[in-house]
Amino acid sequence: MTERTERSDGREGMAKKNTAMNVLVVGGSGYLGSAIAQACAQAGAEVRVVSRRGTATVGEGIRGDARLPRLGLPAGVRADVLARTTHVVLSFGPVAWTTGPGEALETHSSGMRSVLAFLREMPRLEQAVHVSSLLALGRAQGRVTNRELYTGQDFRNWYEYGKYCAERLVRDATDLPIGSVRLGPVLGADPRGGRPDTEHGLPAVFPHLLAGYPVHLEARGDFPSWVTDVSSAAEVVAKALTAPIGRATWTWFDPARPTLREVFTEVCRAWGVVPKIFEAKPLGWVTRRFGGRLGVAAELTDYAEPWFDLDPAVLHDIPEPWPVPEPDYLAATGRAMLDPATVSRG
Amino acid sequence: MPGRPVSVDTDPHPYFKVYSAGNFGEVAPQRLSPMSWSLVGDPMERGTRALARLLWGRPPWAEGTYYVFVGYFGCRPYHNLAACCHLSQTIPGLSPQDVTDAYFEGIDPPAEVTALRATKVRQATGTALLLHELRQIGPRLRALEERVAELEWGLRAAVTANSPVALSGVLRDARGVLEEAWAVHILTTSGLVPLGALQRWVYRRLTRHGAEIAHWLSRPRELVWDRLHTAAATMDPYGPGSFLDSSFYEVADDTAPWRDYAVRHKRASTSAGEQALSLVDPAEAISGMLPPWRSKTVRALAVTVGEVMAGREHSKSLAMRTLHIYRRLLPELATLVGLDPQMWPYLTIREFTDLPTNPGLANRAAPRMHACRLALGTPMPEHLDLTGGDGVPRPWLSERPQAQRGVAPGIGTGTVMSPDDDLPDEPVIITCSSADADIAPLLPFAEGVLSERGSDLSHIAILSREYGIPCVVGYPGAASLPPGTTVSINGSTGEVKILDQS
Repeated sequence: MTERTERSDGREGMAKKNTAMNVLVVGGSGYLGSAIAQACAQAGAEVRVVSRRGTATVGEGIRGDARLPRLGLPAGVRADVLARTTHVVLSFGPVAWTTGPGEALETHSSGMRSVLAFLREMPRLEQAVHVSSLLALGRAQGRVTNRELYTGQDFRNWYEYGKYCAERLVRDATDLPIGSVRLGPVLGADPRGGRPDTEHGLPAVFPHLLAGYPVHLEARGDFPSWVTDVSSAAEVVAKALTAPIGRATWTWFDPARPTLREVFTEVCRAWGVVPKIFEAKPLGWVTRRFGGRLGVAAELTDYAEPWFDLDPAVLHDIPEPWPVPEPDYLAATGRAMLDPATVSRG
Repeated sequence: MPGRPVSVDTDPHPYFKVYSAGNFGEVAPQRLSPMSWSLVGDPMERGTRALARLLWGRPPWAEGTYYVFVGYFGCRPYHNLAACCHLSQTIPGLSPQDVTDAYFEGIDPPAEVTALRATKVRQATGTALLLHELRQIGPRLRALEERVAELEWGLRAAVTANSPVALSGVLRDARGVLEEAWAVHILTTSGLVPLGALQRWVYRRLTRHGAEIAHWLSRPRELVWDRLHTAAATMDPYGPGSFLDSSFYEVADDTAPWRDYAVRHKRASTSAGEQALSLVDPAEAISGMLPPWRSKTVRALAVTVGEVMAGREHSKSLAMRTLHIYRRLLPELATLVGLDPQMWPYLTIREFTDLPTNPGLANRAAPRMHACRLALGTPMPEHLDLTGGDGVPRPWLSERPQAQRGVAPGIGTGTVMSPDDDLPDEPVIITCSSADADIAPLLPFAEGVLSERGSDLSHIAILSREYGIPCVVGYPGAASLPPGTTVSINGSTGEVKILDQS
């Protein structure tokens, strides 16, 4: 009861509560995971990060593996984690859209089940957040909101299917205080510094665009891309812990809703390149048919038409004020690819 | 022949002299009585010969008075590994290693007898005929199940009426049914190997993650075991599920010494453990990832392989049900013809059937009993090498060490549990030396299966695929893991981690 009044008191009450917030970020050494760990630390929480590498940009790094039971933690560390953790963020799993079924299901399905079993052992767990992906909706038919997960859609790749499995498992774990935050493709300079990863996800398309090859996009890419920047995404996840999200599902994307063409154009601007985007069905067909042999990223051919019809009003499920995406994060992505030294590491 | 000691062993094949208990060894008792052998090995041999004749004409090596595809040495049933591997050479694109991977725990295949290789034309027509035969298994199994059910009703009526004529009638009718059941089992078992190879070949060409997908997609949709275990729960002694209470393969499992070799079979009470909201199956998920015709091809192959897997299990259950009819019929008839109840396991089924017209056949049992007693005292190797020609059984050793292999994909973690234990509340991994359909009722509650014996297409692998749980086979010492150990198994890579955590 006292906690609730404190929370409604506003910022002072929030800060007071946050000192008692002990966050475990599972998969927190990655691109988004480390941003989330930073956001939680900024909110005044004590942060511990579990990852296979055991590294952490903020807080304490613990070596563990989400695919193993009880995260594969040694007994001493495990007891400590179980006793102290009050909040958990699940941001583990491969982000490659071209991953195979084995890897995708290993982490997103088997891994998620074992992590959920671990959460059940936490006596002080108040809130957990699963970082899901909008791509779990696959080629969803009709207008979708936060309520829908499976609408009879089919999936473009095993990554989408894996994310779907993970969210399904989270939704079915009705005995746990766990909610999901769905994010679109996350862009922006890497919070860990360095050159961004252009091997996986949407950034895998950029080298092809920057090399000046023509690309077919339906309606010349004038459809929403649901992208967001990494810092606002991390803030939303941190907010889901403090608000708290409960068992709900939130969706976050850049409220400005840049289209895919705008994203491509902005990212390439730093390179002085104008991406050659056409609406040319035969070109699309050729890329789909022979692209694999020519080295065109599968990410490009799979996502060349509008992805799904998402109701933009889903943003209002997130209590205001919303975090503001960093201005110019799209161009910052391009600049980060251009020369790591020019990226400001603030 | 006077002077020659009576032996129960079959003669080894003149060319193919490497045998393996492989697929027998996982699930069948270590030793079989001569009666059970005549009900298992004999019809299997007939079934395989009939199939070989149908597909490749009359190959001279598959004819003759000796057993070609099976063998019975020291009362232990064996498959002729060399002959099975030779069969793989008669199908284009198939290698002997595919056969040993599928059914013989991945041991090294013996050297090929190249002189006996079939011509290219024979190979092609044989493959086409095999595919044609595989199309027929659905109707064949349905017709066969009707005949098995009729036999079960006949047995019930005959036992209730206590009529010797009716019992002999059942014995007469059962023979054809048993042969057909084993023939379909042989067909599905052999058909799965080239189908699997074809599936992997096509997937490698059509999809990005080729063979890995084949692993995830080929799942039988529904196996017969669930239905039979449900039927067994009615406790009807003549019902279709009653065979699940007794040992597979051994019909004399009430008689010493065969009782000691019978594989334990236990039935757990099963409650429908359906998931509240089941996930979309990977086989459905792939439909959107490929262009329409590719997706159709991929799914069609997955369904075909899954259905043949289901057919393999179905035919096995029918063979086991027919054997169960013999199991109850033979002791009844033995008393009726005045045979010593300890003696009938030492006769073959043909001798038993001919007893009323030729009572002298009963005298064959006593010397055979002596021979069996000697044979049971000799340890028989898992894989048998008779190429020495001196009649001394030597083990056939693989040059490569055999690694454990994942045969049903996924990751499972849990506490070790033997199939005889009671189900605990926590997640469990079933560990056993070998497993068969008897553990089917436990599978909905298990996170995975870890077995010492098994191959890619073992029954336990097929069952695990049905339930979508991982399975790793060929892990030595699985059955002797101390209770309370937590293990994590990866059914895709075959990785096993012992997590000594309390």
